[in-house]
Amino acid sequence: MKTIPRSAKGSAALSLILLLCLAAAGFLSLKGTLDKIPRKKIPGASVIYIPSGKYLKYVTFGYPSLVADLVFIWAIQYYSTYTIVDRFAYLEHIFSIIAELDPRYQDPYEIGALIAFSEAKDPKLAYKIMDLALEKNPDQWVFPFEAGHYAQMVRDYETARNYYQKAIKIPGSPDIVKRLYAAVGFKAMDLQTSWETWLEIYNTSTDPRTKKIASKHLYQVKSTSDIIVLREAIRRFRDQYGHNPEDLAELVPMGYLASLPQDLDGKDYIYDSKTGEVKAPTIWWKR
Amino acid sequence: MKIKAIAMNTFREAIRDRVLYLLFFFTVVALLFSRLLAMLTVGDRVKIIKDVGLASISLFGMLMAILIGTGLVYKEIDKKTVFTLISKPIHRWQFLLGKFFGLVLTLFIMIVLMSLIFIIIVFLHTSKIEGRLLLAVLFIFIELILITAVAILFSCFSTPILSSLFSVSFYLIGHFSWGLETLLRKTKPGPTKVLLQGIYVLLPDLENFNFKTEAVYGLAVQSKFYFYSALYGLVYTLFILVLAVLIFKKRDFV
Repeated sequence: MKTIPRSAKGSAALSLILLLCLAAAGFLSLKGTLDKIPRKKIPGASVIYIPSGKYLKYVTFGYPSLVADLVFIWAIQYYSTYTIVDRFAYLEHIFSIIAELDPRYQDPYEIGALIAFSEAKDPKLAYKIMDLALEKNPDQWVFPFEAGHYAQMVRDYETARNYYQKAIKIPGSPDIVKRLYAAVGFKAMDLQTSWETWLEIYNTSTDPRTKKIASKHLYQVKSTSDIIVLREAIRRFRDQYGHNPEDLAELVPMGYLASLPQDLDGKDYIYDSKTGEVKAPTIWWKR
Repeated sequence: MKIKAIAMNTFREAIRDRVLYLLFFFTVVALLFSRLLAMLTVGDRVKIIKDVGLASISLFGMLMAILIGTGLVYKEIDKKTVFTLISKPIHRWQFLLGKFFGLVLTLFIMIVLMSLIFIIIVFLHTSKIEGRLLLAVLFIFIELILITAVAILFSCFSTPILSSLFSVSFYLIGHFSWGLETLLRKTKPGPTKVLLQGIYVLLPDLENFNFKTEAVYGLAVQSKFYFYSALYGLVYTLFILVLAVLIFKKRDFV
């Protein structure tokens, strides 16, 4: 039988190793070349084809939390890619997928709402995500609290008030929620509710700092309310006599006021008869 | 000639394999199912048909390559038929290449049949034959050639189940190498970045053969990208095959 000489076997192996090295060098350099060629892509085109979380849950084979983690990590990368111009179009879809897969996972709701508010400049979408979060986690005060905060930032005080009210009702919500509720009530010019809430905070709080804050706000609400009444009385006086009253006390005997209001410290309001302007004797936050 | 004889024999063996017909059946079902899926959508139905069609060809083609490829060499060793072959004046590399080309031929015929059904379905909706879709299928085939080589490589030293697992992992890693690229971009310069860079260039980038999105959306691709992608696939296949030959040459069958 013919046998292959040892030297021939050795050279064949050497040739193969050489070919292996050449092929490796070849694909490595080709990979570099390919990476340099720009490839047109539709960024995020596949996103809309991700089914809703409800259906996706069935194909996670018992690992919905893990899939939620992966979708969340992917979403973070996706939303930090600023070249995807229309990336916000699928924000609700993506974060609702995570919500369906892992409804108790809090970070995606908060990050999703933050992206909607700060990046997409769409507060309504941020509220929507927070609403979804609250729906899935009715025991978490933080979601309506954050939604209220977003509404407050865009000066939508009515919406903010509604969210803070929801947060207050959830057990475990901190005192600051009630304070914000009262403060936003003042901004929305619901002085009665604001007064009642600050008064409740003042009466129930054991913390001297909170008491002091409540006291300052009570002063602000009362003085604002009094100034509105005084301005209205001055306006009616001016309409009838064609000039401002010389003194605020003049308004009481003339029947424009039942009594002359004073601020919380028992001081009279400052009145300028030339301009008809009324001011509180103390700046509320310096009190 | 020897390689051709083994390849033809492998081809005959592969087309007798029930797995092949089962997978072919599922592909046809998936292609027809794309029509049903399209009925459920709102808007561009043809897009859904193209997406599902190309994905089915790619996915079932990959399964064919792996499930048949991982068993080819192992079966010969397990049934001891390899002794009959090796005792003849055939080099081991010829045996391995014969097996490889036989399976590539089988896959080629399957891809042609699947593409034909796919093109007919698309034609019934659009009344035109789109060259881009055929180009996408061609690159699916190039990817399958590489997967076949990988399946045969693992088949040289492992059992079919393990080889299938390794090959599927290779496929998944190949399609997720963009993740590594993202990680690389966010890593600060240093030894970790160098290590990641090394892994990134060494691991296969199967996305270089993925022209499905471009075909469906009609996006322009530079012709040199097609050329280098095809070349990359063939050179990587050569690398894997040489590695397989080196391992198979050292393999002791006793």
